[in-house]
Amino acid sequence: MPSFARDFEFWNRRFHYYLGLYFLFFLWLFSLTGLMLNHQGWFTDLYHRHETQYDPDIETPAGDSQLSQTLDVMRQLNLKGEIDWPAAQPVGHIDFNVSRPNGAAQVRVDLNARHAYVKEFKNGTLHAFQIFHTFSGSRFNQPASSRDWAVTSAWVLAMDALAAGLIVMVVGSYYMWWRLKKRKTLGVLVLAGGALSCWVFVAGVL
Amino acid sequence: MLYRWLRDLHLYFGLFISPFILLFAVSVFYLNHGKLITAAEPPVETYRDLDVPDGFDRLKGREAVDRAAGILPQLRVSGEVGYLRYVARDRHLLFPVSKAGSEATVDVDLDARTATVKRRSMSLLESLSYLHKIPGPHNVAIRGNWIGTGIWRLFADATIYLLLFISLSGIYLWWAIKAERRIGFALLASGAFTFFGLIYAVVR
Repeated sequence: MPSFARDFEFWNRRFHYYLGLYFLFFLWLFSLTGLMLNHQGWFTDLYHRHETQYDPDIETPAGDSQLSQTLDVMRQLNLKGEIDWPAAQPVGHIDFNVSRPNGAAQVRVDLNARHAYVKEFKNGTLHAFQIFHTFSGSRFNQPASSRDWAVTSAWVLAMDALAAGLIVMVVGSYYMWWRLKKRKTLGVLVLAGGALSCWVFVAGVL
Repeated sequence: MLYRWLRDLHLYFGLFISPFILLFAVSVFYLNHGKLITAAEPPVETYRDLDVPDGFDRLKGREAVDRAAGILPQLRVSGEVGYLRYVARDRHLLFPVSKAGSEATVDVDLDARTATVKRRSMSLLESLSYLHKIPGPHNVAIRGNWIGTGIWRLFADATIYLLLFISLSGIYLWWAIKAERRIGFALLASGAFTFFGLIYAVVR
């Protein structure tokens, strides 16, 4: 066997369990939250959340864009998370929602009165845990949505890395299996069974 | 003995679910970074003289969805009914029907026994993302109203359970290689540090 092939075999095997070990906790989180998302009936009061309201005075928000003014209001109110604005702002107002897995807030700011009306929600632990599965700050079917919190971008990077890691592990495992002298026939049958089952859905037959 | 059994199960379960893992992994990139730009309004197909069941003014939930699904073969539509909207004012029934590859919006005039259907095709990536998200947490009371969704739920669950088994058996198989324990621990620890660090950054 050529030396590069030996090196590839050596590192491919190691990458398989190195990646698996590094991503273990991410894999468990997305597996368990995937089960939660598909079995909402297992839970009672999953979406129960604690609500508080307050209406503090604020300083006129600094900045000349909607984003910079919103960020300044969030700084004054000590809020963090992904921002969502309504399609249109009322005159003299900055209204927005801000959310992250463990909670959210609806903020209505009267710029003339320099007054904010805040409704804040705290999610339960299980609900927060579940939200991590979908916390990307962007929705593919809402082209206008985008990420505006650096922490969300870091989380999305972790999601992408896990997905890329899984693809590398799967492709690498095909090679390792194929190099085995035994277990080819049964392996081909099992892989074909999985691929056919998956294809039936992807092709829209079922 | 245990080692051999676990190694073989790790291999065969892994091979079986590998296409599903690839589906879930590839769709992550589209869900995180893709933007769905729908083309121009799809053409409207009209169907007449339909056999339309009654009771939509009083039925709710799964019962209403099952009746609406009875109309679908006449419209050459199949898939999961997303939700039902009964408009009492003009006795119309509106609902989306989707499966991987296609989506239809159905509007039934219950009195005239006619229906209009708008069909839209999904790209491959959108189809993978659709499967990634189905059945999901929304409209739980009616979800799984199409046999395809019910069976997909079983495969999605099986993928998760087998993935958990594979990760646990993988730990056992790694632990059996004494020379790899130290670097494995280092990677496990750095993965845990990244994971809990990110969780802390999000919730603090």
